[in-house]
Amino acid sequence: MTIPTLHGYQISLRPVVRGDIEQLRIWRNSEHVKQFMLSDNDITKEQQLAWFEHIQRAHNQWHFVIEYRHQAIGSCNIKTRGKAADISTAKHFELGLYIGEQRYLGNIIAFAPTLLMADYCFSELQAKQLYAVVKPENAAALRYNEKLGYAVVHRGDIIEMWLRQSDYEVHSKPLKSLLNRPTRR
Amino acid sequence: MSQQKLTAAFVHALGLTDDKVTDDLTYNTIPEWDSTAHMILIAELEDTFDIMLDTDDIIDMSSVAEAKRILAKYNVQF
Repeated sequence: MTIPTLHGYQISLRPVVRGDIEQLRIWRNSEHVKQFMLSDNDITKEQQLAWFEHIQRAHNQWHFVIEYRHQAIGSCNIKTRGKAADISTAKHFELGLYIGEQRYLGNIIAFAPTLLMADYCFSELQAKQLYAVVKPENAAALRYNEKLGYAVVHRGDIIEMWLRQSDYEVHSKPLKSLLNRPTRR
Repeated sequence: MSQQKLTAAFVHALGLTDDKVTDDLTYNTIPEWDSTAHMILIAELEDTFDIMLDTDDIIDMSSVAEAKRILAKYNVQF
């Protein structure tokens, strides 16, 4: 299944290409991003290249660059949850996101990538449920996910959250109405 | 007059006191102005000034000073 390019809510999500990987590495190694990654080691150029080659072959995950106003501002991904080997046949997915451009951290536009991915998962992939994992100290991500309708299902070293379609539809409605308005640009 | 209406909109939407509403007040730097409050604020400003903001302006409205700049585009004078 070809990784799609998704458009909506003022942004685009396009598949990561080789020319993106150094920018992604710089963002991934920046303090504001890596502090909330499950593995917070710095990534070397060699590791980044190996990661890129891996995701080119993998069928259980899609990685996107987030573009806003024709500029890359971060990255997000959809991965199958559990043992499902292929996104096209999976029904449970885990979504991931970071905003690399600091001026958009915490901005309402940061909801757009998750709205696009969740819409795609529920409508095109017929997802039964979506999941997110968050470090307990990442209060902003917890609030972010709760505003989209995620509920905590397990608290431990890592907090696990899930999102049902019915909850998503209710919670995402006001965000969608703001991000779907006309734009002058 | 517009300044008073603007301050009142922020006070009402974010649950702040008047003295907290200064040009320097910035989105997401205080617990009261998070994304949910931002949506309430947008509705309050639209109601107060009888305008409809477009999405770019909603995204760019990152401070009280920026709110004034954006509202000026909708012929609100400060």
